[in-house]
Amino acid sequence: MKTISTRIVALICVGLCATAIPAFAQTNNDATPAAAAAPAANAQAPSLGDLGFPTDQTKGNAQDQARLDRRSHMLKVHQRLGLITLAPLVATLIASGSAAGKSTSSSGRELHAGLGIATAGLYLTTASFAVFAPKISGTTTRGSIKLHKILACIHGPGMILTPILGAMAYNQRNSGQKVHGIASAHGAVAGITAAAYGAALLSVSIKF
Amino acid sequence: MRTLLALALWASPLVAADGQWTLEQSTLSYHVSHPLHESEGVSHAARGKGVCQAGQCDFLIAAPVKSFDSGDSNRDLHMLQVTRGAQFPLVSVRAKLPDAGLGSGTIHADLEIQFAGQTVQYKQVAFQQTAQGSSIRLTGTVPAKVADFKIDPPSLLAMPIKNDMPVRVDMTWRPQ
Repeated sequence: MKTISTRIVALICVGLCATAIPAFAQTNNDATPAAAAAPAANAQAPSLGDLGFPTDQTKGNAQDQARLDRRSHMLKVHQRLGLITLAPLVATLIASGSAAGKSTSSSGRELHAGLGIATAGLYLTTASFAVFAPKISGTTTRGSIKLHKILACIHGPGMILTPILGAMAYNQRNSGQKVHGIASAHGAVAGITAAAYGAALLSVSIKF
Repeated sequence: MRTLLALALWASPLVAADGQWTLEQSTLSYHVSHPLHESEGVSHAARGKGVCQAGQCDFLIAAPVKSFDSGDSNRDLHMLQVTRGAQFPLVSVRAKLPDAGLGSGTIHADLEIQFAGQTVQYKQVAFQQTAQGSSIRLTGTVPAKVADFKIDPPSLLAMPIKNDMPVRVDMTWRPQ
């Protein structure tokens, strides 16, 4: 009888230890960053259900979060590439000095054309990350991003038109002609495009 | 003897203050700093309830994360993304106060904030109280930090925002 009692006591002890180990583990998992002792749970304490929020405002949605994550990621790439594009854009503008006017040379035109193509290529890649970023329904565009988008309506067509006019001017020069017709607008269109691009960059960088 | 005891209990402020409070109006605003920008997101969409019993009041305030408006839709969407606002749509604050302290002057509350999937506590946060008729106006600042909620700090031009994200609270509570 004594042996049985000892065994029962031993079993109870083992059982208690076995249940205590996961309980300790659970305590560790529940620890919060700044947590010391959480305010004691109270039966009288109000719950979120008491506040009367509509269900769509209280239930999380993993798909919507994934959409936001994808949007942010694409816009971060857009921002990074936009800054990178600035380098060949400035270099193209500097190289334009040796591509036009009296001091023009064939190598100068080629350097300017090469930099221009690189700028246009990078620009289109940059723009595609903004254009194809997922849209979030029910969002009205407000703030500096509005100006950024308006300016994109100027530098977007400009960045397509500038290389076309540049190619026309390049061909006319290489065939010994003076740049004429619509191709003569290449410099002006490029200037407006570069100015709009710079302003678009500043519009989201500096608070006006 | 029973009558005396009942009278004593009725006269006690603890019993007299038992009841419920409803959040009448509120302005919650977070402030973030960036080397090129200072911005503030404001929400008036918070809802709240307080229950006082046996000398202690439990308050719960919650607001949809997407209700914070900084005046820039792109920034607000980015804030929603970094705070995982679609997955955890509400920011909620639980506060525990001794109801004897309710009324006027400064009150210190222990707060438990659930935000961005994290639960963080702030001890002894000071709030100024102003009695407005039967209502009470509470104002104060919660010294929240971006890192407290494990939020990846948003950056612009490779410069992240500062860690401090103080949340200014202005609430008017009325007894129910």
